[in-house]
Amino acid sequence: MSDEVAPESGSSIAEKVEGEVEKVEGELEAAEHEVEEHLPEGAVTPAPGLLPGELYPHPSPFRYVMIAVILVVVTALEVSVSYLEGSIADGLIVFLLVVMAIVKFGLVASWYMHLRTDKPIFRNFFVLGIVAAIILYFVVLLTLHVFS
Amino acid sequence: MAQEIAARPAATPAARGEDAHGGVGVTNTKLGMWLFLSSDCLFFGAFISAFLLYRGRDQAGPKPSDVFDIPFTSATSFILLMSSLTMVLALAAIQRGDHRRVRIWLLATALFGATFIGGQIFEFTEFSREGLKLDTNLFGSSFFVLTGLHGAHVTAGIVWLLSLWGLSLQGLLPTENAEKVEVAGLYWHFVDVVWIVIFTLVYLMPT
Repeated sequence: MSDEVAPESGSSIAEKVEGEVEKVEGELEAAEHEVEEHLPEGAVTPAPGLLPGELYPHPSPFRYVMIAVILVVVTALEVSVSYLEGSIADGLIVFLLVVMAIVKFGLVASWYMHLRTDKPIFRNFFVLGIVAAIILYFVVLLTLHVFS
Repeated sequence: MAQEIAARPAATPAARGEDAHGGVGVTNTKLGMWLFLSSDCLFFGAFISAFLLYRGRDQAGPKPSDVFDIPFTSATSFILLMSSLTMVLALAAIQRGDHRRVRIWLLATALFGATFIGGQIFEFTEFSREGLKLDTNLFGSSFFVLTGLHGAHVTAGIVWLLSLWGLSLQGLLPTENAEKVEVAGLYWHFVDVVWIVIFTLVYLMPT
């Protein structure tokens, strides 16, 4: 019987990383509820009134801090994954980095830029710009054989 | 058919997503900023695409792996990420009428931004010492143009934030003008999300 350990497949590493992210998110949520009980009311309640174009109140300052904590954790994971170059397939590194960048982008756009609480017209304009940029430059790079 | 249409109750402005004046209930300032940010996606997309196009095609000169200092750039990226937090805290403070904290958070955001720019200047200087300049090779051209334009955006944001800080100091930024802070914040967060993309595609992707 061989003592050699079979190398982990790309998908099992991806599942492990996703599992870790979910675990950290769950722990942060539990810690959030625990800390909220000990904070002054101003830190855990949304600001009064609505700004123009808002449908719902902005998040509380404490929620903003929690989002920042998640952003820092994901950034640390990103940097760690980049150091795995040579140990795991480059394609897997690219996939993980792109997923984590999309998560960070989404968190900032939805929570800090308030797309989740503002009227959908702002989100529609922003998504239009992003989609247009992706399609336009993907076609340009495709015609210049960047992906071949 | 005409009777059926006439019998239907007319949709209220609110049901159509309109305000009492027939508008869509958003201010020109905020809508204009979102339109600008949407167009800026195409602007940065062009330079990111150029970087990807020229990536790995150099025959001479330093390569990304020769010059990049990932721990240093990770630290400056962390600082820029934290400036987004202080920016939303400034908005939360002005909505509550806490003008002392508005000034603290605006100044903190500007200082974080200035630290990021300081880090970028240091990085550019180091790269230049190691032989990578704007005209050295394709990597140098595409890297300096892309990150330099992002740095110019951050610098413009710092000037904007310091202007708001100055207005608040003179008592010219009342709670009713919270939208001014929100619109500046939209610009600042956009600069942050663009850096999230640049940091991943330019610095962290395998070469």
